[in-house]
Amino acid sequence: MSTEHSSVELDSPADLTRRLVFGRHPRRTAVRILVLATLSFVIFHWVLIPIRAEGISMEPTYRSGSLKFVNRLAYQRRKPDRGDIVAIKLAGPHVLYVKRIIGLPGERISIAQGQVFINGAPLEEPYVRNRRPWDVMEVTLTAREYFVIGDNRGMRAADHDFGRADVSRILGKVIF
Amino acid sequence: MTRSIVLRGAVVVALVTAGVIVWRLRATPDERAITGRLETLRTEINASTRDGFGTAARATQIGSYFTDDAVVELGKGSPPISGRDTLMGMVARLQPRTAAFRLDLDDVSVEVLPGGDGADVLLTASFVRRSISTGEESLDAHEYALVMTKAGGLWRIARITAIDTLH
Repeated sequence: MSTEHSSVELDSPADLTRRLVFGRHPRRTAVRILVLATLSFVIFHWVLIPIRAEGISMEPTYRSGSLKFVNRLAYQRRKPDRGDIVAIKLAGPHVLYVKRIIGLPGERISIAQGQVFINGAPLEEPYVRNRRPWDVMEVTLTAREYFVIGDNRGMRAADHDFGRADVSRILGKVIF
Repeated sequence: MTRSIVLRGAVVVALVTAGVIVWRLRATPDERAITGRLETLRTEINASTRDGFGTAARATQIGSYFTDDAVVELGKGSPPISGRDTLMGMVARLQPRTAAFRLDLDDVSVEVLPGGDGADVLLTASFVRRSISTGEESLDAHEYALVMTKAGGLWRIARITAIDTLH
C-alpha cells in the first residue's frame, strides 16, 4: 500500500520578509507607492494644504496650535463669502494669515466701539465673544477687496492684523 | 485599456510631475548666493550674544550685510532707518532683547535684475517669541520687499520695505 504525501513548499524567512515589504509583484508595488506619493504631494501641496494655527487672533474659533486645512479649490466656482474663514498669503504660501471675511467688494465697513457696521448697518457676529471698543474709520472696498479680521476682538487692536485684502491674496478657504 | 498601459501612464505622470517640480525649484547661481546670504544673516541675528561674540562685534557682523546707505522702512508710522551706522547702533541696543526672539525667513523669492548687479527680493519674516512664564510661542509675521546690490562679488541689502498685506 502506498501513501501519498502532499508537499507544501515553505518560503524562507527572507522570502517572507521580501514579500511582506514589496508584495507579490515588486514592480507593481513600486508603481503604487510612486503614484500614492505623487498624489499625496499634489493634493497636500496644491489642493488641500495643511496648516497649523499660530497665535490667538482667531480664538475662540481656532485655538493656537490646532491643525487645519486650506481648500485651494473652494473659490474656483464661487466667490468668497461673508463669514468664510480664509487663508491670506504673505510673500508665499508657507506663512499665512487666517482671518474671517466680514466685508465684501464694494461695501462700506466701519467699526465703532467694537461693533462692525456694513454699509451703515450693524453686523451680527455670533462667533465673537469679547469685544474691546475698537474704532476703525469707514473704508469703502474696491471691486477686488475683502475686509478680513480675526474673531478675537478681546485683543488690543494694535496687536491684531486686520484690514483690506486683495482677492489675489486669498489662497483658499480654511476647513475642518 | 490594459492594466500595464494604466501603470505606465501613471509612471509617466509621476515623472512629469517630478520634472515640473525640479524645474520650478531651479535657481541661478546669483539667486542661490542671495538666498544663502539671507540665510546666514538670519543665523547671525538668531545667534545669542552668549556665544562669545560681543554685542558690538555682532552688530558689526550684521551690519556687513547692508550697504553704507541702506534704508529700512518698517511702515505704519515708523520713521525710516537710514544708513548702516544707524542700523548697527540699533542692532547693538536691541541685541539683548532680540536674543529672546527667533527670526525665520520663508517664501523667499528672488528676481535678479538685468545687468546682474541688483535684485528684488520678496520674503516673509516671522519673529517667534517664547514666553518665559508659559513657554508658549507667539508668532508675528510680516512681508518685506528687499532691494539688494552686488559689489565686489558680495550681495548686500540696500533697502528693506515692509509691505502691508492687510491695509
